[in-house]
Amino acid sequence: MSLLQLKNTTIRFGGLVAVEYVDLTIEKGEILALIGPNGAGKSTIFNMVTGIYPPTEGNIYFSGEEITHLKPYQITARGIARTFQNIRLFKDLSVLDNVKIGCHNHTKSELWGALSRLPAVKKEEAEITDKALACLELTGLSKKRDELAKNLSYGEQRRLEIARALAAEPKLLLLDEPAAGMNSGEKVSLANMVREIRDMGLTIFLVEHDMKFVMGLSDRVVVLNYGRKIADGTPEEVKKNPDVITAYLGKDGV
Amino acid sequence: MDFLFNDYNARIIINIGIYIIMALGLNLITGVTGQLSLGHAAFMSIGAYTSSLLSMKLGLPFGVALLGGSLTAAFFGVLLGFPTLRLTGDYLAMATLGFAEIVRVILTNLEVTGGALGLSPIPYKTTMPLVLISVILIVFAMARIERSRFGRALLAIREDEIAAETMGINTFRYKIVAFALGSFCAGLGGSLYAHFITYINPVDFGFNKSIEILNMVVLGGMGSIPGTILGSVVLTIAPEFLRFVEQYRMLFYGALLVIMMIFRPNGLLGGVNFTDLVLKTFGLKKKKKVNGSSEKEGVK
Repeated sequence: MSLLQLKNTTIRFGGLVAVEYVDLTIEKGEILALIGPNGAGKSTIFNMVTGIYPPTEGNIYFSGEEITHLKPYQITARGIARTFQNIRLFKDLSVLDNVKIGCHNHTKSELWGALSRLPAVKKEEAEITDKALACLELTGLSKKRDELAKNLSYGEQRRLEIARALAAEPKLLLLDEPAAGMNSGEKVSLANMVREIRDMGLTIFLVEHDMKFVMGLSDRVVVLNYGRKIADGTPEEVKKNPDVITAYLGKDGV
Repeated sequence: MDFLFNDYNARIIINIGIYIIMALGLNLITGVTGQLSLGHAAFMSIGAYTSSLLSMKLGLPFGVALLGGSLTAAFFGVLLGFPTLRLTGDYLAMATLGFAEIVRVILTNLEVTGGALGLSPIPYKTTMPLVLISVILIVFAMARIERSRFGRALLAIREDEIAAETMGINTFRYKIVAFALGSFCAGLGGSLYAHFITYINPVDFGFNKSIEILNMVVLGGMGSIPGTILGSVVLTIAPEFLRFVEQYRMLFYGALLVIMMIFRPNGLLGGVNFTDLVLKTFGLKKKKKVNGSSEKEGVK
């Protein structure tokens, strides 16, 4: 059984069809990249998978369970976490607090816990701190933990988004243009970090524009154009696909 | 200690205490959770009227009236929250403003609330120790909320609601709870107020009152507990200190607000980490105790 499965997924915004009858599967443990020209519907697919926009048609299954019309927090609870293309950190909170909020998903104490601060609550709070620090360690941000998120550099903010998503202990991690705005050195270490995360047992689904980054990192690549899937295969297969070449370079580009 | 027992000062201190309680409630809604409410006075009036009716008409003990007033306000907070907390920003502000007007008009027209004449005499029950204890309890509760998983969820909603939702936070439910808690504080403040002034009428709880409480939060620093307390103190005693300018009092009060906002746009204590500040002042700042961290604190 595939970890994530999209069946005939379609979304229309008024008259605009952003994603049309897309079928897509992700197997456990793979790194799958979703590529395509601007406006192809890549981020929209992410938004459908994470419940921000419910699809107009079609179904989405995660570990065999239908998640099509669940709310974002319910989908996160089932094991999907994501980062955002246009960084959405909690800007005025510290780096550590950002990641601690990521732990919300698998912790329990509520208002009563906050007020009573019983031993169980304190223990949970300590576990949250440990988990958050481990995620910061993995993303190389430990030294920045007391900074406000908004004071981090662009590349650090992207890594903090990953740390925050990891803190949710997902099975599937969605990365929306993780390498955007990074220099080539940062991209190399990002690719290594993504492999490391995969080796921890997570499945990675990423959208990325940087072809070199995608081709070097992914096990499989899916290409989207005008909301339709035009190719699906290994990086080598996709590179040779005439439809893909047309989509990227135009008809006479070859 | 003598000045505490001076009647005039005692009244001011009780007033400050009541405003601190209400402002901390609004701070939770607006400062921490980021939901702009312009109807805080409505919850104050619900608490004031409910508790007054409980002690006047039913002759219930003050403690019961106090709790009844606060819980009723919280209940209405939830009731209002359900339809309106799906709205954001300006729309929510408009909805809460409208709600406050509806409450005021209903109170003016109901017979049981004494119409425009209001209610009197309400038994005089609010004492300074009671107010101080209430303030301490509310401050304590707010401080604990701030540093908990629950409080972080509220902050996350303020910072970015979509990101909060994708981190697994049921934002709607958390907003409702924050609204209920904030309204509870307003109701508690209103109940204490009614049993202190002994006379209430709907005019006391108009739009101006909501703005006054909001001013305390904004002036002190949104989201900051010490800031909100300071804002409440400053704005409650400012009119008293400004008595010497007589009829220009409100003019000076307004100017004070404008000046503060120019020089401290984030509020008096906005962006100040109060705990760190106190620790540094007394030279007690220690290395943060963090479990399981292997890396060393870099010297900044």
